[in-house]
Amino acid sequence: MIKRLLALDGVSVVCQFRDDGALVEGYGVLGEEMMGRLAKFAHDYKRMVQGNTDQFSMFTQLPGWTPPGGWIVRGTMASVCSVGNLVCFVDNREASLNEVMKELAEVSRY
Amino acid sequence: MSSLDSLMNLQGAAAAFEYSDRGELTDHRISEQSNLTADALDLLAHVFVANICIATMQARGWEKTTGQGGFYPVQGFTLVGLEWSAVGNGRRGVVLRNDKADFEAAYAALDS
Amino acid sequence: MSVYSELAGMQGVIAAGEYAYRGDRYNYKGQLSDEMARMASIMCRATTMGTHMQVGILCANSENCPFDPAHGWVVRGPEFTVCVVANVFCFLRNEAGLLNRVMKHMQDRLADVEEMV
Repeated sequence: MIKRLLALDGVSVVCQFRDDGALVEGYGVLGEEMMGRLAKFAHDYKRMVQGNTDQFSMFTQLPGWTPPGGWIVRGTMASVCSVGNLVCFVDNREASLNEVMKELAEVSRY
Repeated sequence: MSSLDSLMNLQGAAAAFEYSDRGELTDHRISEQSNLTADALDLLAHVFVANICIATMQARGWEKTTGQGGFYPVQGFTLVGLEWSAVGNGRRGVVLRNDKADFEAAYAALDS
Repeated sequence: MSVYSELAGMQGVIAAGEYAYRGDRYNYKGQLSDEMARMASIMCRATTMGTHMQVGILCANSENCPFDPAHGWVVRGPEFTVCVVANVFCFLRNEAGLLNRVMKHMQDRLADVEEMV
């Protein structure tokens, strides 16, 4: 199911991770070990974003921020996008972030 | 004596380093016995910058929410590992052995 | 006696507490309101998550990484300092000698705690 993310322009890797950070499955141009590292990073980053979003809500009392839906780290050439327990690598020149985030949200619901 | 050399004089110091406000390593000293590298210090510098930013957000939020001042502006962040600690203040950092670490002396030396 | 109670009894310590790595549970002792202790727990947990991730990245490519595993962190402000080792936090005044005493006590008492549970 998560493989269909690879059909989007610019998506080179997609991984699913467990709630303890272990890799469930991964597809694309990375080896197994690097997929495992990406899964661990995405899991840790998700918890960190959750923590920071909780604090933002706590300090501002603004509704609608927590729990966070996902995150994007954008580099000059590439970005890492995550929703739920899915994470993918995208090439900024080819990918539409809107499309990638929409598809991630949809696939993460299955 | 440069400021990095005086940081290296702290008890148990394995490395001292200086970095830009974005966390890029600009200068460093590593003791001969240490297996730290410049690349590791560059990552540590980024750890300091990232955590001082987060702590600053927390200090601002805390002070506004509780009315209790005293945390802002954040003056430093320390990462405590099993045997070693890294003490930084946003411009410079020093790596100390935990069993010899004098955190207060480190902060004082970093600010001098 | 729990570590946070021991810390709360030290001269110059404002308050100390412990938080669960998962969920919202926390305990504390000292001069904080219940709401402040809840907020402190949320903040300390978030920073601990961050430092664990950072140490993971820091040590991913180097052997004998001197910070693995991350045991704790300290944030120093002009009047107060926050220390965290494992899942115990301590708010203290910047009084001469106190930070070193608190850190020594926390590291001695919490030396065996490695896993985030």
